[in-house]
Amino acid sequence: MTLLSALARRAEIPVFAVIGTRGLGLAESLRRRPGLRLVDSPRHARVLLVAGAVDGAQKQALERLHAQLPAPRGTVWWQAEPLFARGEVVTGDDPMPAIRAAASADDPDQRPDVPPHPWQGIGPHGHGGRGMMGGNPYGRPMAMTADDIRDGLALDAYSARFGPFLPMLPPGLALDLTLQGDVIVSADVASAPFEQGPQGDAPDLCAARMLRLMGIGPIAARARGALLALPQGSGMRRRLAAWLRGEQVSETPDPLPAALPGLEWAEAVLWLASFPPSRLRAACMERHAA
Amino acid sequence: MTDALFLALSALAIWSGWRVFRVDSMVRASFQLMVSFIAVGLIAVLLAAPYIGIATIFMMAVEMMVMALFMVMFMMNPAGLNPMVMVHQHRFSVAAGSLAFAGLSAAVLLSDLPVRPVPEGAEVVRDLGHELLGPSMLIFETAGVTLLATMIGAVVLSAHSGRYGASDAGSRPPGLTPGGAPAGRKPEGGGGHHHHHHGGH
Amino acid sequence: MIVATLALLLALPPLIWAAAMFDRIGTGRGAIVMGPIRNGAALMLRPNTETEAPDRLNRLLAPGWYLALALVGLSVVPLAPGIVATDLSTGLVLWGACEALTVVVVFLHGWSPNAPLPLIGAYRYVAIGLPAMLLSMFVLIGAALPAESLSVVEVVEAQRGLWNVVRQPLGLPLFMALGLAITLRGPFDYADGAELAGGTSAEESGPALALWQFARASMLVAFSAMAAAAFLGGHLGPVLPGPVWLLLKTLAVMAATVAAGRFFARMPPARMLTFLWVVLLPLSFVSLALVGVEVLE
Repeated sequence: MTLLSALARRAEIPVFAVIGTRGLGLAESLRRRPGLRLVDSPRHARVLLVAGAVDGAQKQALERLHAQLPAPRGTVWWQAEPLFARGEVVTGDDPMPAIRAAASADDPDQRPDVPPHPWQGIGPHGHGGRGMMGGNPYGRPMAMTADDIRDGLALDAYSARFGPFLPMLPPGLALDLTLQGDVIVSADVASAPFEQGPQGDAPDLCAARMLRLMGIGPIAARARGALLALPQGSGMRRRLAAWLRGEQVSETPDPLPAALPGLEWAEAVLWLASFPPSRLRAACMERHAA
Repeated sequence: MTDALFLALSALAIWSGWRVFRVDSMVRASFQLMVSFIAVGLIAVLLAAPYIGIATIFMMAVEMMVMALFMVMFMMNPAGLNPMVMVHQHRFSVAAGSLAFAGLSAAVLLSDLPVRPVPEGAEVVRDLGHELLGPSMLIFETAGVTLLATMIGAVVLSAHSGRYGASDAGSRPPGLTPGGAPAGRKPEGGGGHHHHHHGGH
Repeated sequence: MIVATLALLLALPPLIWAAAMFDRIGTGRGAIVMGPIRNGAALMLRPNTETEAPDRLNRLLAPGWYLALALVGLSVVPLAPGIVATDLSTGLVLWGACEALTVVVVFLHGWSPNAPLPLIGAYRYVAIGLPAMLLSMFVLIGAALPAESLSVVEVVEAQRGLWNVVRQPLGLPLFMALGLAITLRGPFDYADGAELAGGTSAEESGPALALWQFARASMLVAFSAMAAAAFLGGHLGPVLPGPVWLLLKTLAVMAATVAAGRFFARMPPARMLTFLWVVLLPLSFVSLALVGVEVLE
C-alpha cells in the first residue's frame, strides 16, 4: 500500500474540464502541460476544473457532474464564478497550484446520494412498460419501438438529454436526442453553446479538437489522411482542410434539428466540431429567438 | 482428471443452459447459451476432437454475439434495466421439452454406442480435413456456396440502395425506350415507401 | 510446457510495461518510463464507481476475461523449437476463438454498466470487430497453407526457408487491422473512442479501469507475438537464441501497431464498415488465392 501511494504521489492528475464562457482556449492551453492529464469522462477524473464562467441555468447539470467524479474529488473554478460552495477559485493565468491542491482535497457531496426516482414497474413481471418495453422505470424513459427513419424497420428509439458538458460536443451545447442505435432520429437544442470569443475560432485549435475526435494528433494530420477518413459531401473535409491550412472558416451550419437527424453519432459529433464555435452558437441562438 | 473435468464441464453446460430461461434479459440469455456451448466445445476437446471443439467455441462466440447485437438493436435496453421473461407458451414448451428429453435419453440408452478409443498420436485434424475435402467435398462446397449466395442475395434485396435507385424513392427501372414506362413488374400500390424520408446525409 | 508457461508469465509484465511506454512516446508528456506505473498506481487507489442498475457480475468479470483471453491467445505461440505452453494441433483456431470472444467481452464491458455511451460504444464495436476478425481468419489460413497445418509450431517451422511476410506481403498489414481492433486502438477504436467520452470504459474508474487498460496492453503483446509467429518466422533467426528473436520481433510489431494507431484517423463507423467489406476483405481473398496458387506450384 505504501509503495502504491509513493508511486501515485508523482502521477499525473486526471482532470475533467468543464468549459464555460471563453474557457475553450484556457482548457486547450492545459492539454500539453506536464503533471496533469485532461480526461474524457468525469469517472476517470480526480479534479473537476471549471474553466470559464458557467451559466446559472446549468447549475443542476454541473452539480450532477460533480457527483459523477468518484470520491475523493476536488474542484477548481478557473476564471469562473463558483455556482456552489466547493473548491477554490483561481482568477489568474495558472491554475496548476490550485489543481495540485484540489488533487488532495475531498469535497463533500453537493447533491444527496439517493436515486432520483424509485423503481416504477407496471407490467406483470416488474418491467417498466407494456409489452416488456418502454415505460418509465427510475423516472427515465426506456427505449420503445418506433419506425427507423432510414428503412422503416421498427427498432427501439431511446430519448435522453446529451450535454451540456459532454467533452465531444461543443461546450455548453445540450441536445435532446432520440437515438435508434447510434443513429439520431430527432434532435432539439436544449441550450446553445457558450460564447467563446474570437480565440475560440482559431484554426489550429478547431482542427486539433476535430482531429482528437478522430483519434489522432495534429502531426499525423499533415499527411492529409484525416481528410480521406471524413465522409464526402457534408463539407467537413473542406472545413478541416481550411483549418489545417491555417485559414478561418466562416460557414454557418443549418439549424441543428433539421441537420442532425439521419446522422450517426460519430458523424454528428464530427459535423458539429467542423464548425467554428461562434457560428454554431449563432445558428442555435437564431432558433431560440425565433 | 479427465473424468472430473468432463463432469464439471457437463454440469456447467446444463446449469448455464437452465439459466438461459431464468435470467431476465435477452443479452444475458444469449451469453448463458454461449457459456453452455463453450462447455460442450471443451468436452469435445476432451474427447480428442480438438478442431470440432475449438471451432464450436469460435462459431458460438460469433453467433451469440450477433444474436445479442440484434437484441440490443431491437431493444435498446442496457444491462436489462427493464426485466423480461424468457419463457412463453408454457404448456407447449413443457410437452416439447419432455418429449425431446425422453427421445434423446432413449437414443443414448438404447443405441449400441461404438467403443473405439482413438489411438495415441492419431492425426484427427488431418483425418477430418481429408473427410471434409475428400468424399464429402461436393456436399460441403454446394452447401457453402448456396449459403453464401443466399446471404449476399438477402443483403442486396434488403439494402437501401437498390439496383435502380434508393428503395424509399421507388427504385424504378428505366423504360425499354427512352422516356418510356418502367420495364418489368409494376410495384403494387403506386410504388414508393410510405415512410417519411429525411435526406440526412 | 511448464517451462514455456513460466517464461511467458515472467516475460508478460515487462512487455506490458513496454507497451504502455510505446503509448507515451511522442505525446510530449515526458516520464516515459515511470509515467505508466505511477498513473496505474494512482488509478489503483481510486474507488470503483457504481452505476444505476448495472449487471454487476459481467461488469466485474469483463476486464478479467479480456486479460484471460490475451493469456490464452499468447499461450499458443512457440518460444523456441519444442517449447510452447499450449501445444495444440489447432492453435490457430484457438487464437481465432480468442479473437471472437474478445469481441464478446468488449461488448459485455460496454453493456453491463447500463449507460448510453458505453452501450453505443459496445455495439458499434461489434459491427466493426466481427468483419475485422473474419479478415484475420483469412490471412491466418493463408499463413497455415504453406505449413499444411493449423498448429502454430508448424506454421513457424514452415518459414525456415522464407518468412511469410515476404511470401504473402498482404498478410501482415491486413492482420494489423485486426490487431488495432482487438486492442481498441486508433482507427479501429470504436469501443473506447474520444467521441464517446471513453465509450465502454466511460463509467469505469479505479482498479476496474486499471485492469481494463492492463488487459488491453497485454492483448497488444499477445497479438504482436502471434503476428511475429505467423508472419515473421517467430523464434527463427541466425546467431541469437530463439526466444530473443521472438522478443525482438514482438517488440517491433508492437511499435508498428502503436504507430499505425497514431497515424491513421478513425472514420465514422458506416464508412469503416464499407471500407472493411469492400476493400479489406476482398484484399484478404486475393492474398489467400495467391498463397493457394503458390502452394500448388
